[in-house]
Amino acid sequence: MKAAERGILSSHDYRRPTTMVVLAIMSLVILFMVFTMLYPIGVTFMNSLKTVVEVNSFPPKFLPQGLEWQNFKEGWHYMDIPMFMKNTLIIFGGNVLVTVFVLGLAAFTLSKLNLPHRKLIYFFFLMTLFIPPSTYIVPNFVNLKDLGLLNSFWAFWLPAGASAFNMLLLKSFFDDINDEIFEASRIDGASNWYGFTRIALPLSIPIVATLSIFIFSAAWNDWFWPSLVMHGDPKYPLATAIYKKVIQATGLKQNIKFAILAMVSLPPIVVFLVFQKFILRGLHLGGVKG
Amino acid sequence: MDQTAAANVQPAKSAKRRRFAPYRKNWSGYMFLVPAAALFVLFLWVPIIKGVVYSFYDIDFVNGNTYVGFDNYKTVFNDSEVGVSVKNTLYYMALCLLIGFWVPILFAIAISEIRRFQGIFRVAAYLPNVIPVVVLYGLWRWIYDPVGPINAFLGKLGADQILFMTDTRWSMVSLVIMETWQQFGSGMLIYLAAVLSIPKDWYEAAEIDGAGIWARVRHITLPSIKGLIMLMLIMQLIATSQGYQSQLAMLDGGPLNATLTYGLKIVKYAFTRLDYGVASAMGVLMFLVLGGLAVVQFRMQNRGGN
Repeated sequence: MKAAERGILSSHDYRRPTTMVVLAIMSLVILFMVFTMLYPIGVTFMNSLKTVVEVNSFPPKFLPQGLEWQNFKEGWHYMDIPMFMKNTLIIFGGNVLVTVFVLGLAAFTLSKLNLPHRKLIYFFFLMTLFIPPSTYIVPNFVNLKDLGLLNSFWAFWLPAGASAFNMLLLKSFFDDINDEIFEASRIDGASNWYGFTRIALPLSIPIVATLSIFIFSAAWNDWFWPSLVMHGDPKYPLATAIYKKVIQATGLKQNIKFAILAMVSLPPIVVFLVFQKFILRGLHLGGVKG
Repeated sequence: MDQTAAANVQPAKSAKRRRFAPYRKNWSGYMFLVPAAALFVLFLWVPIIKGVVYSFYDIDFVNGNTYVGFDNYKTVFNDSEVGVSVKNTLYYMALCLLIGFWVPILFAIAISEIRRFQGIFRVAAYLPNVIPVVVLYGLWRWIYDPVGPINAFLGKLGADQILFMTDTRWSMVSLVIMETWQQFGSGMLIYLAAVLSIPKDWYEAAEIDGAGIWARVRHITLPSIKGLIMLMLIMQLIATSQGYQSQLAMLDGGPLNATLTYGLKIVKYAFTRLDYGVASAMGVLMFLVLGGLAVVQFRMQNRGGN
């Protein structure tokens, strides 16, 4: 019991005054870290509630004097946020479907069906991990243009199925599922397709949830690539639209700018706080195994 | 099973059939791989090969491409801005190591020792990661503003104003601080998981042998996560060597090309000058350098996994 509870320090160390001083300093540093993490986020929300004069005043104050809720209304009318958000969600949804059905099917096959040469095939997929994406960003763009996919959501959905990293995660998840379930179903006459859709997929909800979080944060964050691939307003996802209309804008009032930024930050923060257990576990998965 | 039985009955005729039997038996499995293989070829292998091909061509969407030999590579080597961008990229990578690399390790070890509120610290540290990067750009421009909060604080201390964005000595540093702020949490949590998985009785044993706290950290904690540290180092080097997005979004490579990285130079060649051939050549050159690093990373990861 006691051995399990100790960390680097033991209860013996806690009794020494010098250790306690160091520990106190350490705690202060950690608190400072938490402050520096939260302060800029707080700034976003506080500035969104200030008047223009307040945002631009020097020295800046953290708390607003009054709550200017109409900033949000004005920001909402400044740009068509629901439409851009819809585009982001369309990209996200399609990417998840392609990842689950195309990459999931391939990962399932490589993991659970005893194909001859499957190691070699797996290597064919995995090899692409060696090639850093920004070395082929330009030919990738030209390639999409040659395929006639520019300004189309297919330019996001189809390449989503070419992710060796996500395939790796799916395969290592399937590897951990017991083979016997699939063997039993095969003896009962089930096809491989049945094994995938009726057994493997329902079991893989945790990994699909984790992947969805990765894909969501990618779709929600990516502003540069869509700004090249998509040609204008009706197709831009939210991040690109914010970059073009808010970050690059010169005439926009600072408080309205922050109101829009706050509105865009809120959904992912809420999603994170609600699903933090899932997300932090997925992070561990992606960070160490990937 | 049926096929092998049949093959035994007529050995001469079915030698060929037997050879292909495993493939025929698994035809549905191979069909399952077709969609993924097609997408990998179409959206990874084709662009990668095209990149090499394009680097020898002058790309013209209207009049068609013309073969130009090594002209694109000559352009790259004769462009003095490319030299500047390589230097800036190395500077950026060094700053990311200097400012960003050790911070998550330190905090992971510190937080692992905190008994209470650990969950809150984790969530707080990861929160900046959740915020969309475009929000980050808008937010930090305001924070770094000559009349923003940091300069207000410096003014209170009586220090001189710092022009974080427009001073060539500060611009890259400012970007690195911003990125460290955002990415610190994910690295910290990965290290934290590793630190917490170290068996506690090792510390117990070391303490009984008279090891002080610092000795325990140095001889147990750090060696235990050494593999992870190396892996994160290489991943960071690969990531930062390609960095261009915040440089592009915050400063567009300025002031005076102080934040013009190699990746940004590629993007500018391609999408500002529309010179896709030269941009592809720069991509190929980058691949030659980074490919080596990626192989090292993969080897280490496999060793770590087993």
